Amino acid sequence: MALSKEELKEKILEKAMKAAKPQLYVKDFYKCDPETKPRAIKNAANELVKEGKMTFWSSGSTTMYAAKGRAKDEEGEGGI
Amino acid sequence: MSKHDTPLLDELESGPWPSFVTDMKRQAEKKPEVWDILGQLELSFKDKITHWKHGGIVGVFGYGGGIVGRYSDVPDKFPGVEHFHTVRINQPASKYYSTENLRALMDLWEKYGSGMTNMHGSTGDMVLLGTRTENLEPLFWDLTHDLKQDLGGSGSNLRTPSCCLGKSRCEWACYDTQETCYHLTMHYQDEIHRPAFPYKFKFKFSGCPNDCVASIARSDIAVIGTWKDDIRIDQAAVKEYVAGNYPSNAGAHAGGDWGAFDIEKEVIGLCPTGCMSMNGDELVIDNAECTRCMHCLNVMPRALRPGKEQGASICVGAKAPILDGAQFATLIVPFMKVSADNEFEELIDFIEKVWDWWMEVGKNRERVGETMQRIGLPTFINVMELDPLPQHVKEPRSNPYVFWKEEEVGGWDRDIKEFRKRNAM
Repeated sequence: MALSKEELKEKILEKAMKAAKPQLYVKDFYKCDPETKPRAIKNAANELVKEGKMTFWSSGSTTMYAAKGRAKDEEGEGGI
Repeated sequence: MSKHDTPLLDELESGPWPSFVTDMKRQAEKKPEVWDILGQLELSFKDKITHWKHGGIVGVFGYGGGIVGRYSDVPDKFPGVEHFHTVRINQPASKYYSTENLRALMDLWEKYGSGMTNMHGSTGDMVLLGTRTENLEPLFWDLTHDLKQDLGGSGSNLRTPSCCLGKSRCEWACYDTQETCYHLTMHYQDEIHRPAFPYKFKFKFSGCPNDCVASIARSDIAVIGTWKDDIRIDQAAVKEYVAGNYPSNAGAHAGGDWGAFDIEKEVIGLCPTGCMSMNGDELVIDNAECTRCMHCLNVMPRALRPGKEQGASICVGAKAPILDGAQFATLIVPFMKVSADNEFEELIDFIEKVWDWWMEVGKNRERVGETMQRIGLPTFINVMELDPLPQHVKEPRSNPYVFWKEEEVGGWDRDIKEFRKRNAM
């Protein structure tokens, strides 16, 4: 059975915080719940950004996700 | 007064053509940070390496696209370009502007940015080049509240859809490209403003096979107007062309000395499928053989028009050369009705089927055309729930092979003895 939206968001955030790489592609979250459609996973990840728990990092052509504080930041010392 | 010595860049002003260096020097008199762009570019020419750092977390609240972060890696030398972010603005359909709107946009950009623009980026957006992070939110507020305009797409978002002039000016448009582009732009606001895919995704809408927005070469889904029935012929107008009373190509090439118009040489002989001929003084077209190349319609626009049963061909998978080289889109649906009457339901169903498949099986940073190539057209057609068609084959007459699946032929296992009773070797 697919996870509820809140459970899915929790799993995504956990992965974003614990993954070896600070910045992840949206596909990296697909394994958080193989029974959930990719579009629902994308929506959950985007909601976490809206809530301020994750941030986008964009090269201009590709966008990646990072837990708040882990993204590579050109403007500060650490991440934001 | 120049802030940096730029002897290499100055060379670019010495040719007979207009120079961006001259334009930038002029702009630098108003916006001193532009001197630093020239200085940094001069340094890049010397060092033979870019001094831009690309990408970042910059953006405006609630959006995950439309701003591309850019920073100098030598900010101590060129503090004016320490931040030099790019802003993409969704262009109006077919790029119609009023001068009032353009002036307002330029005033906005002089206020918050460098004043430098790229009109337009290859996706179609108006590209505003160079601003600082702290200017992004105020710029976005004024853009959306005063000018009623919005940011375009970037990153792994749906990129800003674009279209040709369509029915606003062109009699060849086989569907309303502007209506379609606007409707899908509004329908997919979430996908344009927030990342949705493994990589970028583009739509483009051309009203006829002339494909004035080059959708077949540049977009993941190209919607190209076409017709299903016969080309409409006005035989009286054909005679006027033959008699030299109407200029060919609507006079577009009238400046040259081309001699008298020769319908055999300039139209019939150039038809790629050889589907045209003259029967006395009447033009005859074998419409079943026509591949909609548009050449005859372009040469004799007063005599030939697209048929009446109009819609669009849907091609999938074009891209520019980053991984495997440039690739044209592949024809997937030869004819689809494209209409606002049903809110483009058939087209939207098609688009979302492509997305669902690509989001599932596409690799990171893989365009849908690359996924199609990696996995194969037969699988893609199957996933799209379409029947294979001769139009899916590049040369159906010289390459007639159809690869059947086991379930389509009742299994591979045969009783060979039974078979040989009916088919002796």
